[in-house]
Amino acid sequence: MSTQHSKAAKQFLKNQTYAHWHDATFWAVRSKRDNMAYGLDEWEQLREKASAIKRHTITHLDEYLDQFATAAEKNGAEVHWAKDAQEFNEIVYGILKSHNVKKMVKSKSMLTEECEMNPYLEERGIEVVETDLGERIIQLKGQKPSHIVMPAIHLNHDDVGELFEEKGISNEKGNHDPTYLTYRARLSLRNEFLTADAGMTGGNFGIAETGDIVVCTNEGNADMSTSCPKLHIAAIGLEKVIPNYDCLAVFQRMLCRAGTGQPTTTYTSHFRKARPTAHHMHIILVDNGRSDWIANPEHWESLKCIRCGSCMNTCPVYRRSGGYSYSYFIPGPIGINLGMLRDPQKHSGNVSACTLCLSCQTVCPVKLNLGDQIYQWRQQLDDFGTANPQKKLMCRAMSMVYGSPGLYNLATALAHWANYIPSPIMNCGLNPWADGHKMMQFPKKPFHEIIKDIER
Amino acid sequence: MASKEDILKKYRSNIRIQYDMPDLSDIQAVTYPNPLLQFMNMTKSVGGNAIEVEAGRDINELIRELFPDAKEIASNLPEITIATRNPDEVGRARDLNGTDVGIIRGSFGVAENACVWIPQTMKEKAVCFISENLIILLSKSQIVNNMHEAYARLSAEANSQEQFATPHSVPLGQRIAKSFEKYGYGTFISGPSKTADIAQVLVMGAQAARSATVLLLPE
Amino acid sequence: MKIGLFIPCYVDAVYPEVGVATYKLLRHLGLDVVYPEKQTCCGQPMANAGFEKQAIPLAESFDDKFSGFEYIVSPSVSCTAFIRLNYPRLLNHQCESAKHCMDVVEFLHDVVKVDRRLGTFPYKVSLHNSCHGVRELGLSSPSEQHVAKYNKIKDLLELVDGIQVVEPERPDECCGFGGMFSVEESAVSAQMGRDKVERHIQTGAEYVTGPDCSCLMHMAGVAKKQGLNIQFKHVVEILAAGL
Repeated sequence: MSTQHSKAAKQFLKNQTYAHWHDATFWAVRSKRDNMAYGLDEWEQLREKASAIKRHTITHLDEYLDQFATAAEKNGAEVHWAKDAQEFNEIVYGILKSHNVKKMVKSKSMLTEECEMNPYLEERGIEVVETDLGERIIQLKGQKPSHIVMPAIHLNHDDVGELFEEKGISNEKGNHDPTYLTYRARLSLRNEFLTADAGMTGGNFGIAETGDIVVCTNEGNADMSTSCPKLHIAAIGLEKVIPNYDCLAVFQRMLCRAGTGQPTTTYTSHFRKARPTAHHMHIILVDNGRSDWIANPEHWESLKCIRCGSCMNTCPVYRRSGGYSYSYFIPGPIGINLGMLRDPQKHSGNVSACTLCLSCQTVCPVKLNLGDQIYQWRQQLDDFGTANPQKKLMCRAMSMVYGSPGLYNLATALAHWANYIPSPIMNCGLNPWADGHKMMQFPKKPFHEIIKDIER
Repeated sequence: MASKEDILKKYRSNIRIQYDMPDLSDIQAVTYPNPLLQFMNMTKSVGGNAIEVEAGRDINELIRELFPDAKEIASNLPEITIATRNPDEVGRARDLNGTDVGIIRGSFGVAENACVWIPQTMKEKAVCFISENLIILLSKSQIVNNMHEAYARLSAEANSQEQFATPHSVPLGQRIAKSFEKYGYGTFISGPSKTADIAQVLVMGAQAARSATVLLLPE
Repeated sequence: MKIGLFIPCYVDAVYPEVGVATYKLLRHLGLDVVYPEKQTCCGQPMANAGFEKQAIPLAESFDDKFSGFEYIVSPSVSCTAFIRLNYPRLLNHQCESAKHCMDVVEFLHDVVKVDRRLGTFPYKVSLHNSCHGVRELGLSSPSEQHVAKYNKIKDLLELVDGIQVVEPERPDECCGFGGMFSVEESAVSAQMGRDKVERHIQTGAEYVTGPDCSCLMHMAGVAKKQGLNIQFKHVVEILAAGL
């Protein structure tokens, strides 16, 4: 009864030192979030408002998108609409080609990851340079992000040190001090910012009333990407648009507190139009499935997500299996849900990577019902044709036994015979419970027999 | 654009249930008995410096004291006499690279998180990020409690119809407010640029300023 | 006040002593307790595995057996939560009994409002806050939330003579049982179990106690496999100890 996730997780846990470090690291981020939450009396009120704002906005999104595009165009930006990943990549390429762009720097955007934009552009001769340090590291290493906010978290300073030596970014062999490595990366990326022809950003929020694209970073790389190159393209998924500044205040206050345990990102930048010496700004609004998801009665609320990452940090399964164990590019509770919306057949395996502890939805700043939705997805697996046959059989057997008091009483009467099964057979590998547990002892008499004696 | 209408139409037709906008006026956001003090404490905790400047102090002299080794100083502020570069006058943004100290004006600060609202007030905003060290001049009376107040202020500034015929008679914060509309860019900056992407070790100075100093002016 | 006692399948088959303790404790408090015959299972294992429709006949049978009771009490937070939160939906809201179903801890704390000395248990116990109890039944304040701290299990345990109650680090992190999860993701499940047991041991407690036998069963199995020296008792066994 194994899945891609369970196999990968088992591998992950083989390196116990690493696994404990991974778990402790993310628990530390969860703790920092806790300190932020406990420090604001209005925290739970903000969560309630954030949830309500998102429910309203998502269910009126067509109006807000229209308002956003009108405001952005009035500001002088050119607004594009991409129905899917292919169209998005084509639009980006078209804009870059028309400006003869050879190199583009970009700040972090999970949307571009979703659309697989980087390889598309690189195949067409455009160099794409990630400028978020974590993204740059994994780009150089040829890896995918293992977390949506801390993409290189799975690497330690030696991994990064050796990588930088190999790529000629650092020039002191053996110096793996993070401060030194960050400085060397700074020098390398500084050169990229200065020589790039275009800069691309994602966007944490789009403001319908004013046409702003709001980008939050700690590094300042979105601002560097848009201050030196003469072309700025901003890309966001449809659901990033929110009504106005009053709403933005709620989300801005929660995003970083929830995601990294800081009161704010260093930079919260509002882009309305390009600077006077640059070409006009381009904004791309991307659908790629979102207009379908709103129709899903159990799962439309996944559109509320603001991509803070706090659900991953709190998830005891994510912490002990790592981002790469999941089949979808976004891991953890939100990744399980978004993966199912994207391709249920492909990503059904992730749905069992959850104990339904509900910590995720208790931590979520927008009260997304992540765990409840995972439970719902499980009910649909049979319809998708991806229900595990062994599980199905086991449940059918249980149903039969539990449905018949006679059968059930027989089963409980015989249960204690299991106590006599020799250990080598019990632990032979066919019994997955025995992998991690010593078998429990079944009592001779179940409660329903004992109670008869007591009541007498 | 064909795609726009298709997308909006499809989305609209797929909405099953609708929810109302909640009332946001009853949010009990944190306020401080001394917002300036909170702002200064938060600035320190995010790795920045906040210095109260006494009336009559020579700003240029103070900056020289803070950065005695600075060679290239970039600013378009008329009160800064020690600038060696001007972001309004450079040929290209990249010419600002190698700036030791960039000096810019902030509009107002936010006590809860040490953010300073910086509308773009120069031709090349790169000066705010490309400089090794950033100095932000801020009127110390212009501190709001939290981001709700901050964004309400930005909305009010946007809605204000006043055009200033004699700019210097209007407080600086209000003057530069219109700058956001003019240039179409503004940012909240809280402390220096930072990252913890390598082994979760926090390092000040990622891709932008390695230090951020807010000079709180009496005016 | 007529109380119906619901004893879930695994308590019936593996931990009957917990059922016995529940019955004895309720009787000790002067309550009229009835144990309807032919109980089997609430359906949670199948539902969590993705076959919640299989819980429908069990829900109907439950509703039949337990109609007419003012409260239905069970020594299992996971079963109680499943019944109360899902039966009305599964039976299209034709399920009177579900809303009267309470876990024994919340029943004693909120309805009976026990405030007198209960059993005797002169040991240090580490409190295991089972997820269903915390985040579905509200037995304690979730550590994720900024709310006034409370813990109904602790309140009741402190009525026990000689006891010392402590909580481990990460007080409401999941133990890793998760039903089928323990078999399907056995590596992660066992790791979570070991980590949780370690944290309980670090408190210096001799016993781990909690409101759900499935958590205790999982942790006990993991602990015994590792040869770890700590014992496990359901809360109700401690509350009834020596009565």
